[in-house]
Amino acid sequence: MSDPASGIVAEGAAEPLLSVRGLTVGFAGRGGVVPAVRGIDFDVMANEVLCIVGESGSGKSVTALALNGLLPATARMSGTIRLGQTRIDTAGEEALRAVRGREIGMIFQDPATTLNPLMVVGEQVTEGEVVRGDLARTDAPARAVELLEEVEIADAAGRAGQYPHQFSGGMRQRAVIAMAMAGRPRLIVADEPTTALDVTVQAQVLALLARRQAETGAAVILITHDLGVVAEVADRVAVMYAGRIVEIGPVDAIFANPRHPYTAALLQSIPRVDAADRRLDTIPGQPPLPGAFPSGCAFHPRCALGSARPRCAADDPALHPVGGTAAACHFAEETAPPRLPADPRQSREIAGATEAPLLSIENLEVHFPIRKGLLKRTVGHVRAVDGVSLVVRAGETVSIVGESGCGKTTTARAVMGLVKATAGTIEFEGDDITHKSSAALRAVRQRMQYVFQDPFSALNPVKPVEEIVAEPLRIHGLYDEVGGKQRIAELFDLVGLSKTMFGRYPREFSGGQKQRIGIARALGLAPRLLVLDEPVAALDVSIQAQILNLLEDLQNELGLAYLFIAHNLSVVRHISDRVAVMYLGRIVEESVKDDLYEGALHPYTQSLLSAAPVPDPTRRADRRRIVLAGEIPNPAAPPPGCSFHPRCGRASAVCSRDDPRKARFGDTRTLVACHHAGPLGEPVGQVAAGGVR
Amino acid sequence: MTAYVLRRLAQLVPVLFIASIGIFAMIYAVPGGPVGIMLGENANQAEIDALVHDLGLDRPIAIQYFDWLGSAVTGDFGVSLHSREPVIKLIGERLPATLQLAAVATLIAVLLGIPVALASALHPGSWLDRMLSGWSALALGVPTFWLGILLILLFAVELRWLPSASRYVPLWEDPLEALRHLIMPAATLGVYVSGVLARFLRASLVSQLGADYVRTARSKGLSRGRIVRVHVMRNALLPFITVIGLMMATFIGGAVVTEAVFTYPGLGRMLIQAISTRDYPLIQGCIIVMLVIYVAINLTVDVLYAYVDPRIEYS
Repeated sequence: MSDPASGIVAEGAAEPLLSVRGLTVGFAGRGGVVPAVRGIDFDVMANEVLCIVGESGSGKSVTALALNGLLPATARMSGTIRLGQTRIDTAGEEALRAVRGREIGMIFQDPATTLNPLMVVGEQVTEGEVVRGDLARTDAPARAVELLEEVEIADAAGRAGQYPHQFSGGMRQRAVIAMAMAGRPRLIVADEPTTALDVTVQAQVLALLARRQAETGAAVILITHDLGVVAEVADRVAVMYAGRIVEIGPVDAIFANPRHPYTAALLQSIPRVDAADRRLDTIPGQPPLPGAFPSGCAFHPRCALGSARPRCAADDPALHPVGGTAAACHFAEETAPPRLPADPRQSREIAGATEAPLLSIENLEVHFPIRKGLLKRTVGHVRAVDGVSLVVRAGETVSIVGESGCGKTTTARAVMGLVKATAGTIEFEGDDITHKSSAALRAVRQRMQYVFQDPFSALNPVKPVEEIVAEPLRIHGLYDEVGGKQRIAELFDLVGLSKTMFGRYPREFSGGQKQRIGIARALGLAPRLLVLDEPVAALDVSIQAQILNLLEDLQNELGLAYLFIAHNLSVVRHISDRVAVMYLGRIVEESVKDDLYEGALHPYTQSLLSAAPVPDPTRRADRRRIVLAGEIPNPAAPPPGCSFHPRCGRASAVCSRDDPRKARFGDTRTLVACHHAGPLGEPVGQVAAGGVR
Repeated sequence: MTAYVLRRLAQLVPVLFIASIGIFAMIYAVPGGPVGIMLGENANQAEIDALVHDLGLDRPIAIQYFDWLGSAVTGDFGVSLHSREPVIKLIGERLPATLQLAAVATLIAVLLGIPVALASALHPGSWLDRMLSGWSALALGVPTFWLGILLILLFAVELRWLPSASRYVPLWEDPLEALRHLIMPAATLGVYVSGVLARFLRASLVSQLGADYVRTARSKGLSRGRIVRVHVMRNALLPFITVIGLMMATFIGGAVVTEAVFTYPGLGRMLIQAISTRDYPLIQGCIIVMLVIYVAINLTVDVLYAYVDPRIEYS
């Protein structure tokens, strides 16, 4: 370990494929240049996967763009980037164009916007090769089909002539991968390639990326905020914070023995799909944004080790080898090893478990008509919610988890009376609210409030936050009755905000603070039930932990019940008492949290759980992953019988004929809707459709 | 697609129906009504009663309306009170002139507006951008009558290249002569509108240039020129269709000032004259024709959208 660049360079390596030294990127603005990346070094070998992890503002995406010379005109860059013998940092536009596509392929985050909406997919996939002269225009259509087949797009010949909007999100990302791989590049840079995808589709796309990487021997730089994904795919990991690499090393060492306090804290702050319940260790404060990086070590204000030490506030530490990694910390030797999940909690016994339910949903259906033709006749229905029954008791958290389009949000909106139920009943406090008038519903909503997913757009930007929190009280005419300004101050205090912030506007708050404001607004009327629709999905990892802990505290303090809607299985496991899994408008399995996570009985739940990335690289080898074939069918035309049967490994003749009813499985606490329900691994049928990997 | 067009056409029926009621009712909104205008102030009651009976104004209003509507649908808007000629004939003389002016003006606006927008969007913040946006502000700010008069002073009075009073010469009969008469009024309108178009298209281009798919295209190694030509232009021009449609529609009736400056025989000027002489049948006829053209342009824009943008379903 005498090499000072250990960890920066992979061990025992020959010549690196990519070598970055002293990379600095800033953006010219009115007040001068705002630094985004502040001097980073790393190498990538051929056939290696390097993950760059960080929260918003860490500079990870800017680094990705710099590698390909794609920074905007306002960027100011210094340092060297060497790809093989080519200097990228000094290359002109012509030379860069020769590198792009042919040497470096890029995959971006949001497949909804990375493709040109007005050009057919096949043409976009081969466009680079055609323009570079590597492919004759007449051969392009056949090549497009070949490329789409390589990324496992069914009916590639038909799909090549379609437009991006005719593709699902997962298919679009496959097409983007095909495009990035078309020129057989030596390096692939993927910036959050699966963040916008569902967990089962994410598993498909990551498996595809791994397969194509193995086939071509390309190096991959994968940029992500998801430590689960990192543990699944990385060979080495670089952790970025405030424009610096604060730690870099082999994936096992980073996860088992992180030497930088930030890495350690990040690993402690994520809820895990595979671990028993514990309170999350949060990192105080929020990740700094470019332009406001603290002095010295940028992490020191949030650091358990360094917050009180003058050296941390004064000197910015350089990366140096510590243990198995290289860390940029003055006191890296003191970083405590990550703890195993502390004080595991068993499922809570809910006081009100035997009382009458607070919220009771019975056979809820929400169908949206599809109208077509000259007279807009109704030709069918999208069965967004198709017979959902669920009970929430006072003080408990019930989660609905599922992939996009499964109907979880529509269920929540129907509960709030925001969409009309087509059939079924919704009872709140024993009172049937399914068909109440909006005036009557308004009274009910005093005790049932909604928290929205996106804190960035859910708050009125032209109102001060005090007004935003007071608004529900004013609407219900209770502002003075409950104590006016005094009550607003209490609410701010309750969610961890200061009343000195009263006059400020939403744009002055970070995402986590905005979500706190959203929660304060919902709590104003002293509700008994909060409907939380993906409340942490848009937040950074360290902020997510803060909000989850806040929700837990509020529940204990105020006896709130939560109906929690989410797609993130780890978050759901952490927060819930009971969990219902939805697929195509129905609940396929419902149980007490730990029973569901430890002994799922429905094949869909099992594949969902197996697809969720676990932030533990040592488990990579022994994990059985069921990669589901295909995608969620169109809810306007669900398959007959059990709607999951076309993708199910256990499906038999009965499954395509009879729709299974949700029923208790044996003497368990689990309700499951499957003809072949049973624990994973028992001889209940052949392996899953996609094969067990 | 056909079903979509048919449904959009069907949707026009109630729109036109409601508008026709308003247009019909205009005649009653004026003191004295048509009879007062036709007979002047000194008519005696017997004359008035006779004319009222002749015109059928003593029948129930609903019957009068459907009678009028029935004629209007077949293109019979009655006879001009002023010239005693059928309204449809008068409109028929003016409409081609107006359409020709609108088409040439739109062409000029587009030919001026697109390059200006492209040049400034591709170099945002540059001196070129600032100059061009200054130019488009000027184009918007200069009143059309003033620009028209300047053009006449220069090209008709000083240089004597072009006629100061424009006649309508159909383009297909004598293109050169037609252009001599058209070019000044069309340029006056076109320059003004090119300012609107340039500003609009520049904003649209700038936002498309920042779109994710442009970054993807760059990461494939495409040249800037190809990215703009093949990827950005089509996306940026989509919303542009609406603006061009709206502009054309305003040329149909709204070019009154320009038509007056150049004494161009357009529909707008005839409408103004009809209003000043309270020539009700002519006013009604003009407004109905303008309305139909306006609605037709809007429909064309929507259908064009559905055709150009694959994301829009025709159903």
